[in-house]
Amino acid sequence: MIDAVIDIAGLTRRFGDQAALDSVSLTIGRGGVYGLVGTNGAGKTTLIKHILGLLRAESGSVRVFGRDPVADPVAVLSRTGYLSEENDLPGWMRVDELMRYSRAFYPSWDDAYAEELRTAFALDSRARIRTLSKGQKARAGLLVALAYRPELLVLDEPSSGLDPVVRRDIVGAVIRTIAEEGRTVLFSSHLLDEVEQVADHVTMIDRGRIVLSAPLGEIRATHGAAGRVPSLDEIFIAQVRTKPR
Amino acid sequence: MRTPARALGWEFGRCYRGGFFAIAAYFAFVAAFRLAMRARGQTVELDDVQMALAITVPLTAAFIYLLAVFSFGLTGDLGARHSLFPPRLFTLPMTTSALAAWPMLYGCAAAVVLWAVERVLGPWPSDMHVPIVWPALLAASLLAWTQALTWMPYPLRGLRVAVTILWLATIDTIVILAMHFKAHESVMVVLLAPHVPLAYVVARYAIARGRRGDVPGRRDARGMSGRRVRGSRERKTVPFASAGGALAWFEWHRHGWTLPSLVAILLPFEVALLFVFRGTPELVIDTLFGILATPAFMAGFVAIAASRTNLQGFTGTRPISSAELAAATMKVAIWSTAATWVLVGAAMPLSLFASGTLPLMMARVRDVQHVLGTPRTVALACLVCAGLMIWTWKRLVQSLYLGFTGREWLSKAYALLTLSFLVLIGPLLWLAGDRRVVSAVWDLLPWILFGFVALKMTAAAVIVPKLFSSRVLSDRVLVTAAASWSAVVFGLYALFAWFVDTPYVPHYVLMLIAILAIPLARISAAPLALAANRHR
Repeated sequence: MIDAVIDIAGLTRRFGDQAALDSVSLTIGRGGVYGLVGTNGAGKTTLIKHILGLLRAESGSVRVFGRDPVADPVAVLSRTGYLSEENDLPGWMRVDELMRYSRAFYPSWDDAYAEELRTAFALDSRARIRTLSKGQKARAGLLVALAYRPELLVLDEPSSGLDPVVRRDIVGAVIRTIAEEGRTVLFSSHLLDEVEQVADHVTMIDRGRIVLSAPLGEIRATHGAAGRVPSLDEIFIAQVRTKPR
Repeated sequence: MRTPARALGWEFGRCYRGGFFAIAAYFAFVAAFRLAMRARGQTVELDDVQMALAITVPLTAAFIYLLAVFSFGLTGDLGARHSLFPPRLFTLPMTTSALAAWPMLYGCAAAVVLWAVERVLGPWPSDMHVPIVWPALLAASLLAWTQALTWMPYPLRGLRVAVTILWLATIDTIVILAMHFKAHESVMVVLLAPHVPLAYVVARYAIARGRRGDVPGRRDARGMSGRRVRGSRERKTVPFASAGGALAWFEWHRHGWTLPSLVAILLPFEVALLFVFRGTPELVIDTLFGILATPAFMAGFVAIAASRTNLQGFTGTRPISSAELAAATMKVAIWSTAATWVLVGAAMPLSLFASGTLPLMMARVRDVQHVLGTPRTVALACLVCAGLMIWTWKRLVQSLYLGFTGREWLSKAYALLTLSFLVLIGPLLWLAGDRRVVSAVWDLLPWILFGFVALKMTAAAVIVPKLFSSRVLSDRVLVTAAASWSAVVFGLYALFAWFVDTPYVPHYVLMLIAILAIPLARISAAPLALAANRHR
C-alpha cells in the first residue's frame, strides 16, 4: 500500500451542464514529481482547486495528507505550497512585506532559505509586487510557496510568464530539489516537453477524465514501437484522438 | 457597425437596455397621465410632496443611473486608485481624444434628452415657469465632470469618491446661489456653458494617464535599483506575532485606512462651513449633524470595497480558518472606526473653538442639562458617542456577508436596493407631517418593532445552527458570542430603562430597541458566506 499524499476517489464536478471533472480517481504517493497534463480547459486547475479545498467535491472524495481540505483547510494548507496560474499576489505589497506576511502563517518558514531564494531569483526586497514583470511575479510566488519547505508543492502552470531559459533552470532545479528531499510535487502544464523533463509520473487529463496515469518510463515503454521511443506529445495526442470529441 | 463610435454607442445601449427601458416606461406613464388630464380638461396642480414624488425623485434616480452608466461606474471599482475607464478600451485603435469624446458625448446627450423629455412630458404645475436650456446644461455638466473625475487615477484608494462628491456639490452650490439671487437664464447659461469643454479636457488627460498605466503614488517603485531603495534595503522587518496579526495588517493595508483618510479629506470642508454659518445657529447645528454623520455615511462606500476578497487565490490558500479570515476584517473595521472617530473627536472641539461657535453649543448643552439633569445629560452624551461609533462600525461590517459570497451581482443588487430606498424619503417626509399618521405609527410602534425583532431572530435561528453544523466557528466561540450579545443587549436595555423614565414608553419597547440596535444575524452570516465562497 502506497503512502498517499493525495487520494482522490470518484471526484465529479459540473459547472452548469459542463462536466469539468468526471469520476476522477487519482492517488499520489509521497516523494516524486507528478505531472498533470491536458489541453486548456481539460480540468487541471479544477482538480488542483479541489486538492487545495477551494472547490467542494460534488460527489466522490478528496483527501490530502489523509484529511478533507474543505473541512480542515488549515491542516492541509500549512503543509502545502501553491503557485497559482493566475499570479494574484497583492500588488501593493513589497517583496520583503510579502515574505514577512507569508512567514506568519507557516511555522516551518526558513528565513535563510527564503533569503537564498530571493537572491537566486534576483528579487529586490523593496520592490512592489505590481511593479515586477510577469516572470518576477512568478518567482515571488514560487519563493513564498517554497520557503517553508512544504511537504506537497502544487504548481499550476508554473512556467507561465517565464522565458525558456529561466523556466528550465528555475522550475527544473526547484522540482528536482524538492523531489530529492522526499517531498512531493504536483504540477500541471500543457507544455509536455517541460513535463517530460522533470516528471517521474504523468497523469493525462482530457475533458474532465483521466485518460492515462502511470510512471513516465512505463508510459514510454508501453507506447514505444519498433525500438522507437515516442515523445510525450505523441503519446498525449494519440490518447486524446482515440476518444470521441 | 462601421465606426468605433457606433460600436461604443451600441455597447452602452446593449448593456444597459434594462435601465433605459425603465426610464422610457416612466416617461410613457407620465405622458399618459398628462394626456388623461388634458382629455378631462384639467390642469396639473401638484403640491411640493406630490411634485417630489412625480418629478424630482424619478428624475434624480434616472440621472444617477445615467451618471453610473456613462462613467463606467457600474462595471469598475469606484474605490480603486487606477482609472475607472475600462482598460479593454485603452487597446482599441482610437485616439485618446476620441476615447474621451464619444462616451462623454453619449452621456451628455442622454442627460440633455432626459431633461428635455421630462420638461415636455413631465406633469409640471401649470403656473410654474420651468426653464429649458440651463437645466439641460447643468445635467450635461454634472455628467461630464463625473466622467472626468472618475476616469482620473488617484494616489489614494477611495479619493475618487470624495473628490467627485465635493466637486459636484460645488457646482450645485453655485447653481443654487445663482437661483437664490434670481439670475437670468442667460447668466445661468454663461455660468454652465464652459463646464463640458473643461470636463472634456480633464477627461482626456485622465484617459491619457490611465492609458499609459500612470497611477499616482507608483513613483516609489521607480528606483528598484536606485539609491533610495538600496539605502532602505537594510531595514529590519519585525516578524508578526501570529497569523491573525499578519491578517489584520494585511486587511488594514488593503482597506482599513480608507475610511479615516476619506473622512480626513472631507472634514476640512465641513469644518469650514462652521466658519461660514457661525452667524446662523440652525445652520451650525445642521453642519455639526453633518460632520457627525460623515463617518457612517462614508463607511457605506468603504464597506463595499472592503468585503471584496480574493478567496479563490492568494488569501484563500493561506493556512488559516475562514472564521479567522472574517474576524480579521471585522477587527480592522474596529481600528478603522476608532481612527476615524479620533479624527472627528479632535476636529470637532477645535473647530467649534476656532470658529467661535463653542458658546452656542454650550448653551444648547446647558438647555439639555436643564431638562434632563446632569447624570442623564452625561449618559446621553456617552450614548450618542457610542451609538455613532457602533453605527459606523455596523455600516462597515453589516454588508460583509454579501461581499464575502464573492457574488458581484449580490453586492450591486444590495447597493441598488439601498439607493431605491431614497425613493421612500419623499413619502416618509410627507407622512411625518401628518399628525394622524404619526399617531397611528406611534400606536403601532411596538408591533412594528416586534416584527423587525422577529425577522432578526428568525434569521439568527437559521444562521446559528448552520454555523454550528458547518464547524466554521467552534462551540466555544459560538457560546461566548451568544453570551456577549445577550449581555450587551441587557446592558443597553438597563441604560435605556434608566434614561427613559416615562410611562408613555413601555419597557418592553426599550428591550425591542436594544435587541435591534446590537448586530447579530448579518454579522453571524459573514463567516458562513466567506466559508461558502472559499470552498465553493
